[in-house]
Amino acid sequence: MSASAESRAAGKPVGAPLPVVTQAAVPFIEIETLRAKEFVPAAKEALSAMIAERGRGELTQPVFNWAGRNSLFPLHWGLACCAIEFAAAFGARWDAERFGVVPRSSPRQCDLMIVNGTVTWKVAHKLITLYEQMPEPKWVIAMGNCATGGGPFRTAYSVVPGVDKLVPVDLYIAGCPPRPEAMLDGILKLEELIRERKE
Amino acid sequence: MEAEFSAQVSARLGDRVAGIESFPGTLGRVRFRADAALDVFRSMRDDLAFDHLSMVGGIDWVDHREAFYVLWSDARRAYVILSADLPAQNPHIESATSIWPSANWHERETWELVDIHFDHHPDLRHLLMPDGYAFHPLLRSFKLHEPEELEVKTRNV
Repeated sequence: MSASAESRAAGKPVGAPLPVVTQAAVPFIEIETLRAKEFVPAAKEALSAMIAERGRGELTQPVFNWAGRNSLFPLHWGLACCAIEFAAAFGARWDAERFGVVPRSSPRQCDLMIVNGTVTWKVAHKLITLYEQMPEPKWVIAMGNCATGGGPFRTAYSVVPGVDKLVPVDLYIAGCPPRPEAMLDGILKLEELIRERKE
Repeated sequence: MEAEFSAQVSARLGDRVAGIESFPGTLGRVRFRADAALDVFRSMRDDLAFDHLSMVGGIDWVDHREAFYVLWSDARRAYVILSADLPAQNPHIESATSIWPSANWHERETWELVDIHFDHHPDLRHLLMPDGYAFHPLLRSFKLHEPEELEVKTRNV
């Protein structure tokens, strides 16, 4: 029988002081510290073993790849009629932003260059400068037949026969010009490439 | 009107003009001697009231080259074409930029495409091609290069 029930049975008034609990309370923070003292070294050990076994890149790369492929920022520039399709893809009807693709006007904020149009020798070194200003990691999509291989102007005196002569290209989109659906499909294919990226 | 214009040109320019042919849509095509180019330009503007230079172009006829100028007169409301035959070797003619400033870019384009040199041009640089481009692509002697060959030649200049 507890002390309060005893006092109630004895007709003593309710509200008498409750008995003091004599067991010392352990502060919550102290419990966490105790756990951490055991857990952190164990976790460190396990992580070191995993890194030694599989390499640091294999553990962190999927995280970076996940973040990178879901927020591709293409460079906002247009060379020819493919740029009209590029612009349409970001309009209300196709709305490429739902894939996290947002065109940026500065190459220093971009990780994707979509070469959309005929590349002439006059603009070639400007294209290379823009590519070099983009921070790593970066990708290049050749959009349309002109950027892929010069298109109908392949043998012309002023046209670069394919932008892969100037910068490394990750993905080619066929079409003259490709429809916005094709461009979005290319971006999704590029996301699959980034998913497989090792480093 | 064309006969009247022809008489005026002959009176003003004399032997600096080699001949006047009829040309559809214009008052005629005036063939002038290239070494008298500046006199002809100034006379056309000041005496004959052709105050606007509409375009400058060049043609490669293999054995010689031709520079031509399309002029417009607000007073006459008519076009006229000036043309001069130039030798195939080292073709050059006086620049029209001191008479009509609009000649500037047209002459740059003519120089880079058909290799006619315009003397005393203020700024004879490439217009459509990159600096140091090795070819004059609208010459008949220009071959359509394989893309790789063009790339190598353009990159190495």
